[in-house]
Amino acid sequence: MKTKKKSEEISFEEHLKKLESIVQQLEEGELTLDESVKLYEEGMSISKLCLDKLNKTKQKIEQLVLEGEEKYSVKPFSISKGENTVNEF
Amino acid sequence: MNNYAESKIYTVSKINRYIKALFESDYNLQNVWILGEISNFTLHSSGHMYFVLKDQESQIRCVMFRGNNLNLPFMPQDGMKVKVMGDIRVYERRGEYQLYVKKIVEAGKGELYLAFERLKEKLKAEGLFDEEFKKKLPLIPQRIAVITSPTGAAIRDVITISLRRFPNLSILVVPSLVQGTFAAQEIAQKIEFLNKYFSDLDFIIIGRGGGSLEELWAFNEEILARSIYNSKIPIVSAVGHETDFTISDFVADLRSPTPSAAAEMTIPDMNSLINNVNLLNSKLMRATKRNFELKMEILNSLTKSLQYQSPENKINQYYQYIDEFTGRLNSRIKHQIELYEERIKKDSQRLDSLSPWAVIERGYSICRKLPHLEIVKKLEQVEIGNEIEVIISDGKISGKVDKKEVVSS
Repeated sequence: MKTKKKSEEISFEEHLKKLESIVQQLEEGELTLDESVKLYEEGMSISKLCLDKLNKTKQKIEQLVLEGEEKYSVKPFSISKGENTVNEF
Repeated sequence: MNNYAESKIYTVSKINRYIKALFESDYNLQNVWILGEISNFTLHSSGHMYFVLKDQESQIRCVMFRGNNLNLPFMPQDGMKVKVMGDIRVYERRGEYQLYVKKIVEAGKGELYLAFERLKEKLKAEGLFDEEFKKKLPLIPQRIAVITSPTGAAIRDVITISLRRFPNLSILVVPSLVQGTFAAQEIAQKIEFLNKYFSDLDFIIIGRGGGSLEELWAFNEEILARSIYNSKIPIVSAVGHETDFTISDFVADLRSPTPSAAAEMTIPDMNSLINNVNLLNSKLMRATKRNFELKMEILNSLTKSLQYQSPENKINQYYQYIDEFTGRLNSRIKHQIELYEERIKKDSQRLDSLSPWAVIERGYSICRKLPHLEIVKKLEQVEIGNEIEVIISDGKISGKVDKKEVVSS
């Protein structure tokens, strides 16, 4: 799970780099029509991937609650909440 | 001794070099801490400091080079009690050993600082601070944990700034003591716990707001340093302090001066990322469009060239050629005709002067016999009684022949 996730992360940054290099190649304009159509399609799908990636997760603020050595639960956390003192943990 | 001729004889510099090597091979003389009192302190114009460190019975010569003394928090003075740390080495030129000072701490003060320095040197020597062990943080984090007090300003700052920058973020708040005797141990345990049960975390921020050296002490403890080093999840150290570093800062994969700064440094600004992608997107479309236009221009100019070479164009060219020749032919003929007309005009003028009318004008007349209007030139053509007409310049006269007579000329 973790390794898979990491590779996705790397690919996001690589996607961005790839997109930049595609744009540069197109801007240099020394491509065949087929090549530029291919690059355009590739670039569009990469930029969609990038935007999807940014919108993939949802906001979630949680707090870890330990219930013994190896037991725990996760409950919502609210910033304004003041009754949790550090002594509880 | 009387065998001195046979035993090896050293030069002064050789024996000093030998002694120097002896000093340098003794690890007890490296990074050694010495307590003493400063005397004969001199700050040379080069920036190097020279002094003698002494106690009641003995003394040792010390030098602290500029590179080591730049960040000293105080100016050493004669009579000051200090703890100094450095290497004892031999100064070959004089054949004297001296302490090459790396650090000076005022004695009596800064016990914590001394402990800090010792731990720092120890962990550094073990390689815990080495860059090669620093893990890279992902550009787009999805889930992060913050180990800190759940009630302090630190957690509020981290959450507020993180969500402002990247709203689609999942934050796990892991409450912990952040000061006091048990804080380091608890933070270390939480790091281990997260590594065990929350391996999907992109990174963990550990930290607290600013405080005195004592209040921040948990972040200078070995147990926490080792836990940070052993964590598979990247750790961001976010301890509020302006000038110094904590041990946690050195071990962590990323260090930031405050919890707020940690959020600013690690959480990407979603809007600028989206803008960046959109900018690339529109550049992509523009560049592709431009490429198409370029190809279209080439195509158009080739089509033009091709049309120029087409049979239709060839035929049109011949038409033009023919038209041109026809024109030339016509004008040639027209010219010829004009020449002829000119000649005809001249001829008809000459003809005019030969016309009978011109003679009649001068008084001659023509006589014609009716009914066939034959011109009468000889007497024998007419008989008495024949009808004739005589043409003169402005008309004719008719009549009958009533007499014939030969006239000799």
